[in-house]
Amino acid sequence: MTRLKRNLLALLQPIIAVIIGLLAGAIAIILLGDSVIDTYREMWNGAFGSFYFLTNTLTRATPIILTGLGVALAFRAGFFNMGSTGQMVLGGLAAAITALYLPGPGWMVLIVSLVVGMAIGGLWSLFAGYMDAKFGINLLISTLLLNYIASLFAGYMVAFPLKDQSGSAAMAQTPMIDKSIWLPKLFSGMSLHAGFILAIVAAIALYIFIQKSVSGYEIRMLGNNPFFAAYGGVKRGRMMVVAMLTSGALAGLAGAGEVLGTQHRYLDGALASADYGWSGIMATLLASSNPLGTAVAGILLAALQTGAMGVERNTNVPLEVASVIQAVLTLFVSARFGYAFLKRRKEKK
Amino acid sequence: MDQLFDVSLFNSMLRIVTPILLAALGGAICARVGLFNVGLEGLVLIGAFSAILGNHLLGNVWLAIIFAILCVMLFSLIFAYISINLRANVIVVGISMNFLAAGLTTFCLRAIFDVKGAYYDKNMMGLPKWDIPVIKDIPVLGGIVSGHSPLVYLAFFAAILMQIYLFKTVSGFRLRAAGENPIAAQSLGIPVRRIQYGAVLMSGVLCGLAGAQLSLGQVTMFTEGMTAGRGFIALVATMLGQSNPIGVVASSLLFGFMDAFSIRLQGFALPAQFTQMLPYIVTLVAMFFFKDRSYLKDAQRANGSSR
Repeated sequence: MTRLKRNLLALLQPIIAVIIGLLAGAIAIILLGDSVIDTYREMWNGAFGSFYFLTNTLTRATPIILTGLGVALAFRAGFFNMGSTGQMVLGGLAAAITALYLPGPGWMVLIVSLVVGMAIGGLWSLFAGYMDAKFGINLLISTLLLNYIASLFAGYMVAFPLKDQSGSAAMAQTPMIDKSIWLPKLFSGMSLHAGFILAIVAAIALYIFIQKSVSGYEIRMLGNNPFFAAYGGVKRGRMMVVAMLTSGALAGLAGAGEVLGTQHRYLDGALASADYGWSGIMATLLASSNPLGTAVAGILLAALQTGAMGVERNTNVPLEVASVIQAVLTLFVSARFGYAFLKRRKEKK
Repeated sequence: MDQLFDVSLFNSMLRIVTPILLAALGGAICARVGLFNVGLEGLVLIGAFSAILGNHLLGNVWLAIIFAILCVMLFSLIFAYISINLRANVIVVGISMNFLAAGLTTFCLRAIFDVKGAYYDKNMMGLPKWDIPVIKDIPVLGGIVSGHSPLVYLAFFAAILMQIYLFKTVSGFRLRAAGENPIAAQSLGIPVRRIQYGAVLMSGVLCGLAGAQLSLGQVTMFTEGMTAGRGFIALVATMLGQSNPIGVVASSLLFGFMDAFSIRLQGFALPAQFTQMLPYIVTLVAMFFFKDRSYLKDAQRANGSSR
């Protein structure tokens, strides 16, 4: 099979899944007694209808792409990192603390804050990897549990020691970060910030890393066939450190980007309740861990979510219709393995 | 200390532990046939919602429970079909099932009850509380054991039943064989796929009961994402208990105790965030001591790359 044909075939499955997802959404809309065409038109307009809505979609896509990339790298190496929410929360918190308390010129503090956010996210993820490698504690479970611990810890930090005391609304949040440390906006008056460029750069860099570098090859090998990798001299422990550290760092960057680019403070629950982490996992599953595909899938999921807000504004259909479409989509992409299996069986006959 | 450890602490522990225990038993039976069911969270959520829906439609708590069981069984069939017939990665399917459950329940909440966040109807009857004769008059024990919803007793009864079934009956032996070595079992004429389907459906029944206890047992309401990670905790309980019903009871009790204890600790000067963290930390620590290698192997075999 030629390379082009293989790439096209790889694209076919997600496209079919998108169609099935939209069909499932259509059924839900019909059951509600609304017009499918009107609803989907509103969804499209809400996501891409104007330049303003388009930038909103891309803003929402930014953390989804970054966490998705992190999960994709870990998946490639065969590690189920379910902890992106926790890594993102701690990364965002750490970036906020750095931005608030580190003296120095704005641009320098901004860079240091991003790096600190990445480092903390990476270390939190590495902690789970360490417990797996050293003590055999299932990564899937430990990363899930660490999510709750991270969110509760961040909740404590902003409810007590770091709480914003100024103003009448004493919400659980840190004080506002100084304007000079914000991530620059790409267009004035729009929400889209430089974090989006970071996300796209990260997607391309990760693609090149996985496809072209030796470590990338080893990571792929480890994920595809752990026994063969071990035979070939790939050290699972060392690869796990690399994969988990990078994976968590990307989630941490997502959190830092949200704090420095969108909210300009750490607000309790804002990162976890928006489900960026889980959307990132969905994006990875949709793209079967291809970094560039993850970026596209991240934008698609963000478009569904912002589009659903448009649907809710202009029709009777609740915005939750987007979560049904997303879930059906992911479920059908997971059947990809089965699809390959059927093909293999046919070939044997 | 008297303020910390009293009768009502253990009473609430039994209440808290029930949904976790039921779901964990469901996870255990799936694990025994070699399917690592990450979708427990979603199954319980569907159970909680459909129990409320059933109660709303049918106006009877018992019919509502049956309705919940049927809905969750139907939902678990999707899991079974995609992971057994289509040979998809079980973990990926499980995760997607959780997404689907979260999406469907919030959507239906809006579509059917036209409310956001939570549905509550003060006229709706929850599950009754059973006082057990004789035992309820025994001083301490009565206060702990008596006065729960029937599902609490059913959960412990189900654990005993499952222990007997798995280790004392021929059919239970076949079920374990199908999970231990599917190919060998197949060659002996054991219908592996049918057993796997049966196990997934059984876990659907148990998760339906778990959901019903969650939404009808105490509060008689449904809130978005009200499982709040209990399905994942059940997954941990399954692993800690090494898919052994009695072990699952023990590990669920540990978590239930920590949860009840953490609620109690909030009465003291500790920040709520730290007391809420306690169950998760204890679970993590417990995993250091009770590691089940065979379970990990199962998970790995089920999909070359589970970790």
